[in-house]
Amino acid sequence: MYTEFWPDFLSRLPFGIMVTLEILSITIPVSIGYGILLGSARVYGNAFIRLLAAGLVVTFRGFPLVVTLFLLFYGLPEMGVKLSPFWTAVTAFILCSGAYQSEYVRGAIRSLEVGQIEAARSLGMTRLQELIHIVLPQAIPRALPGISNEIIYQIKYSSLAYIVGVNEIFGITTSINSIYFRPIETFLTAAAIYLVMTTAAHFGFKALEGHMSIPGLEIEIR
Amino acid sequence: MADVVLKVEDIHKSYGKLEVLKGIFFELKRGETKVIAGPSGAGKSTLLRCINLLTKPDKGRVWLENVELTDPKVNINKLRARIGFVFQHFNLFMHLTAIENVMIGPIKVLKLPKEEARRRAEEALLRVHITEDLWNKYPAQLSGGQQQRVAIARALAMNPVIILYDEPTSALDPELVGEVLQVMKELATQKVTSLVVTHEIGFAISVADELMFMYGGKIIEKGPPREVVYNPKHEATKKFFANIARLYGKQGA
Amino acid sequence: MPVQASVIAYIPYMLDGLKMTFLLVGGGLGIGFLIGVPIAIGQVYGPKELKAALDAYVWFFRGTPLLVLLFLFYWGVFPALGLNLNAVLTSALVLGMRSGAYQSQIFRGAITSVPEGQYMAARSLGMGKWQAVLSIIVPQALRIAIPGWSNEYAIILKDSAICFVLGVMEMLNRTRYVMISTGEALLPFIFAGITYIFLTYGGVKVFDIIYERYKIPGLLVRG
Repeated sequence: MYTEFWPDFLSRLPFGIMVTLEILSITIPVSIGYGILLGSARVYGNAFIRLLAAGLVVTFRGFPLVVTLFLLFYGLPEMGVKLSPFWTAVTAFILCSGAYQSEYVRGAIRSLEVGQIEAARSLGMTRLQELIHIVLPQAIPRALPGISNEIIYQIKYSSLAYIVGVNEIFGITTSINSIYFRPIETFLTAAAIYLVMTTAAHFGFKALEGHMSIPGLEIEIR
Repeated sequence: MADVVLKVEDIHKSYGKLEVLKGIFFELKRGETKVIAGPSGAGKSTLLRCINLLTKPDKGRVWLENVELTDPKVNINKLRARIGFVFQHFNLFMHLTAIENVMIGPIKVLKLPKEEARRRAEEALLRVHITEDLWNKYPAQLSGGQQQRVAIARALAMNPVIILYDEPTSALDPELVGEVLQVMKELATQKVTSLVVTHEIGFAISVADELMFMYGGKIIEKGPPREVVYNPKHEATKKFFANIARLYGKQGA
Repeated sequence: MPVQASVIAYIPYMLDGLKMTFLLVGGGLGIGFLIGVPIAIGQVYGPKELKAALDAYVWFFRGTPLLVLLFLFYWGVFPALGLNLNAVLTSALVLGMRSGAYQSQIFRGAITSVPEGQYMAARSLGMGKWQAVLSIIVPQALRIAIPGWSNEYAIILKDSAICFVLGVMEMLNRTRYVMISTGEALLPFIFAGITYIFLTYGGVKVFDIIYERYKIPGLLVRG
């Protein structure tokens, strides 16, 4: 048994890593897009859209992610919608992370000077043009520190996909542990993989923030 | 010589390549008030901080009543407790009321009982004309002039051997400068030994025993204030006081 | 009996799980405070070697998912140390150790936002380094950090639900049991979710009250 543990663990781990990366490769870009949309909608939407967007934010920021996962996994089939474990996890992560990210986008939009908007309007831009060409290009770099923080959270919380039965890094790790019962080795290995991912993301975003900063717009919102 | 309170000998300080102090010498006797003036960047503030070692000088020695502060074996906290320091930006403790600001040194550093500290604090506050209605206000609820007077009281309550003032009025609105200078003048007349970095030439002329002019990290000229201001010998001194006169008119002179 | 009625009948059973949820949240925040404040002080004022060790602690606990930490400590670390801790105690400790890492960053930010002049003035009165830190810097930083802690409460409240994986009978786990015994999922989980929302706002309100109580005019505040 002793000789089998590491080869077995290490040969199955890449599969879990691939699943985790697959989840993140969907949830990261989609949640960012959704977060920007939601944040913009809360400032630029009409009354109905603003209310809808606020409802989504309050709900999915307020629900623990586990509750959202169970709600989608066990609750949606009662309404005739059945998602696979993988898509349940992906949907839950996007709903939750997007809601958090939208708050940073909204804050960044609010922090822009009134003069910028007046100038856009004086050029005869529509509200949508003003949002796309003037407001978002300034707001997104400002929201970036908050967004990157949320993405790092997303990497860690992706492990929760395990509780609806997705065999990602953590799923593989627990199943190996239940065979060999080597909790320290297995879970420390999982921890190491997550640490590599979160640390890499941290430095990646730091570089991106430097790259995207606009002179005079560096004010970080906290 | 017996009553020299502060003696400064050959103080040097550099920040990287920038040599801020290039050998400063002077001394103060008990009850004296001396003023240091000079253009910004001359090293005045650094000099004051080097005296109570808030900044460590690279070279040179400082004595407070025959005890060498720059001696590494000395307990600097004990000595600092005997040197009052008044900051340009007051630096009152933001989480404490006016009277608590004055009490905290006696309580925490001198280990006085609370009632004794309170008595001292009240006395110090009254000396700087901070009346009882202001004692329980937080720093942010006081005007700049009131804050600076509380800061002076904070220094006084420690019964210091000497008070160092670092441009105490230059962060104040012009209409508040007078009340602080008035307090400083009163203390000087009461023979509280003081070393004051300031541009207030009027203050120097009316109460200082000596005016030292700093330029490029050195004291290049010193003497009776009236003498230095009206008959400066050095070119830089002349230029400086001419500019001051232009800026402030003949106010105080 | 209609399904809805049977779910409603279980509401008291679900809410009873809040006692355990509060135990986890209170324990986690409390332990995190006791760990986080000294870490922050050490990170700002400590010697180099100490800083490196504290940075490593913070890096590990911030970068590792809670799920991994719970299993690592419950099955691995605590038993290996000869500690036979039950799921509740393990959960509270793990939430606390992890929150300590986050709280240290909140508190560190608060310490560094206290202006340098405050420290200088304390030293000029003759206070020693640690005396100045403890009696001048820390009391101000504690107040500045309150909004950050309010945020940390909201995070730890939601994360306490993850502790169901160790079998802790907090609210979410009871909700699962309701689902199992009634066959209804939508309603119980929506009810649980809304309860968490109320608890978040309620708790944040409490922190607002604490903040109002201890706030001092003019003291720098970070949102």
